[in-house]
Amino acid sequence: MTRIDKLAFGRRQALGALAFAGLALRPGLGHAAGGNGTVVAAIDNDPPTLNPGISTDYATGEIAAKIYESLVWLDVESTPQPSLATSWEAAPDGRTYSFKLRQGVTWHDGKPFTAADVKFTFEEVLGKLHPRMAAVLKSLGAVIETPDDHTAVFRLQRGYAPFLVQMTVFDAPILPKHLFEGTNIPAAPASQAPVGTGPFKFQEWNRGANIRLTRNENYWDKPKPYLAEVVFQIVPQAANRSAGLQTGELDVVSDFYMPKPDLPRLMRDASLQNRQGINIPAIWFAMFNTKSPVFAQKEARQAVAMAVDRPRLVQQVMRGIARPGVGAFGDGFKWLVNADVSYDKKYPLDAAKAKALLEKAGYDGSPIRMVFDAARPQLRSEAQIIRENLRAIGMDVQLEPLERSVMLDRVFAKREFDITLQSFFSAGDPAIGYTRLYATTTSGTNNNASGYSNPKVDELLAEAATAPDRDRRAALYKELQVILNEDLPSLVLFDEETVNVATKRVSGLWSSVDARDRWAGVRIQGN
Amino acid sequence: MRAGALMWFVVRRLLHAVPLLFCVVVLNFVLIAATPGDPVTILVGDFPAPPGYVEQVKREFGLDQPVYVQLVRYLGHVLTGDLGYSFANRQPVSTLILGRLAATLELTLTALLLASLLGIALGMLAARWRGSWLDSGVQGIASTGYSIPDFWLGQLLILVFSIWLGWLPSQGNMSVRGAPEGIAGFLDHLRYLLLPALALSFRYLALIARITRAAMLEVLSADFILAARSRGASETSVMITHALRNAAAPVITVIGYNLGFILAGSALIETVFGWPGIGRLLFDSISRRDYPVMMAILLMVSVTVVLANLATDILHRAIDPRGGDR
Repeated sequence: MTRIDKLAFGRRQALGALAFAGLALRPGLGHAAGGNGTVVAAIDNDPPTLNPGISTDYATGEIAAKIYESLVWLDVESTPQPSLATSWEAAPDGRTYSFKLRQGVTWHDGKPFTAADVKFTFEEVLGKLHPRMAAVLKSLGAVIETPDDHTAVFRLQRGYAPFLVQMTVFDAPILPKHLFEGTNIPAAPASQAPVGTGPFKFQEWNRGANIRLTRNENYWDKPKPYLAEVVFQIVPQAANRSAGLQTGELDVVSDFYMPKPDLPRLMRDASLQNRQGINIPAIWFAMFNTKSPVFAQKEARQAVAMAVDRPRLVQQVMRGIARPGVGAFGDGFKWLVNADVSYDKKYPLDAAKAKALLEKAGYDGSPIRMVFDAARPQLRSEAQIIRENLRAIGMDVQLEPLERSVMLDRVFAKREFDITLQSFFSAGDPAIGYTRLYATTTSGTNNNASGYSNPKVDELLAEAATAPDRDRRAALYKELQVILNEDLPSLVLFDEETVNVATKRVSGLWSSVDARDRWAGVRIQGN
Repeated sequence: MRAGALMWFVVRRLLHAVPLLFCVVVLNFVLIAATPGDPVTILVGDFPAPPGYVEQVKREFGLDQPVYVQLVRYLGHVLTGDLGYSFANRQPVSTLILGRLAATLELTLTALLLASLLGIALGMLAARWRGSWLDSGVQGIASTGYSIPDFWLGQLLILVFSIWLGWLPSQGNMSVRGAPEGIAGFLDHLRYLLLPALALSFRYLALIARITRAAMLEVLSADFILAARSRGASETSVMITHALRNAAAPVITVIGYNLGFILAGSALIETVFGWPGIGRLLFDSISRRDYPVMMAILLMVSVTVVLANLATDILHRAIDPRGGDR
């Protein structure tokens, strides 16, 4: 070797050694081998349970999505992607779904994940206790077969179009059979100290303060996860959640926990990043009590539609972060919107016409009770604007903000209201979350309390839920809008647009349409 | 006051407290039971609960029994020391409360200490230098401080010290990222305690300063003070040994009386600062209709108020030099 070669070699070696040393001394190596950093997210209260198989509470889902997994996850286009299922086949009639399950997956306590867990979860937990899935599985008469440890076959008595879309961790989390079998599931220890297959393990629940998760060292999707810890800080005061992002105490705050008035300011903040407008659709609406003297007449409901200034609600209530309602199912699912009968065409803002319609309906000036959940500030603002709109056409509206429990009782159990302001989450498909708004219902909460019952509508809704192809479904929903936009048992005010905010130190967020899902790929710089 | 008479006094007062506490329990139970809404719908989330699920949970919690049956069962349990089981938290109530009690005690006692020590000191200084700018300052704090809502002050403190200056944290009672151990951990914890304790104490600080100042001024004009001064006693000795001791009675009454309010006010401060205490637990248990937790906390607060009033009375009689048999 010449002298020059020796020097070059030596320098390269030295540089290599320095670089290696630099990497080793890099600050912020987490406690868990391979895990790096702690991300702190905000929630507003202790969740009622940490078992997503028995509750659709938002915080429950937020935390459970890091601990549990399901057969699939939804990307930003809402297309199902493999998770615990590596592949699947649907029969052409939509009545059989066959899933190949991932091998080599273990629960956080070391036991292996098998098809028996899937069968148990669907039959004993979801089918009996899950607020969304129980009714679906019952009406489908679903039976699960497990020909071997890594195959699950679902046999349904009818087709169900959103079947795959609903197989997410929020509606179909897979729970460990060995910890729940034979127990009273809501009271089981694993409902408070969950054991899942996901990237993070439950560590501790400091009631009133926080919930801590640590890295799952044996996660199947190596080398993920990248974080050492995820902490959910309980921040009861909404204003302090946005403040927390700015002081650095919080790294991520979901739209659900963010007060809307703070969003424009946070979206302009250079140290923060956000994702707007990609979300599972949800609609905010005013539901009429069609059994009340005033709103028994369709003309009275249509008069309200012509008097309520929906673009103004979007501007003032949601700070422009929403889309004015266009029809019975909003426009979150573009494929079903029927532009011919949209609200813009049928109910343009026109106080004079509205007054005329109201007279035609024979409104006698009696006060209208508008009931809503007092704890939701957007509903308060909505109520005030709508009251003003209706006063302009001669309607006397009395606002009744009620505590949530009381509101649920008054609206859904007793049906003592004239108008109620609510919002419904679609959960990924109109057949999952919007059917309950218009189908004939006599009991239960968070569904159709308007008293509206139309057999033709029920028939179309049922068919739209089972029809296998998108075009047929679109035609059915469009036909439904012809009827519902005319009858107006509920007036859709706007389509929700979410804005999720995080500090710029965090990366890898928001790969799913639901901001709570898919945290295995999240990283944080600096700590 | 003689020891025997004192003991009788205490026993009599405690006996009076028993029917009072009984009424508190029964009245609150009935009020809560009469309120619409039930714990199950809160548990389930925002979709309709599956039929049968509601009945199952109600049976589990004994909510399917008529109200008077539930009340009698509850009273029976309380008398044996069993405070029941929390629906919302799925834990025995006593475990839940003990876990959160420490946080509230820490906050309220710190606030009480701050309010008392600073309030008395300011009141004394204002009386000592009556008419000076210090006196005007203290009087100013005393009148405005009492009118400032504590939760508003809390938000203001967060704005100034957490957001603008970045000196102190805005939320919680401990660091969630790598909490230090030992002494460093304790000091770190104090950083979290400072703002909420300050916000909670301010009103009472103002009140105590005002009462102390007024009481001191009254006492300072008495003959025995003149006598003490003419005997050559130092000003400090006059202020503390002679004047304060005589002025203490109304001040102690105010402090003891306000303990109940500080305890109640802690709920708001705990919400503003995310402090995991009993106040917030009470508020949450009300919205979730978690009856066992609500009842237990109300009972605990009632007992505390009764005991605090009793302690105040005893202290009154003990320190008042004009006391004697009454």
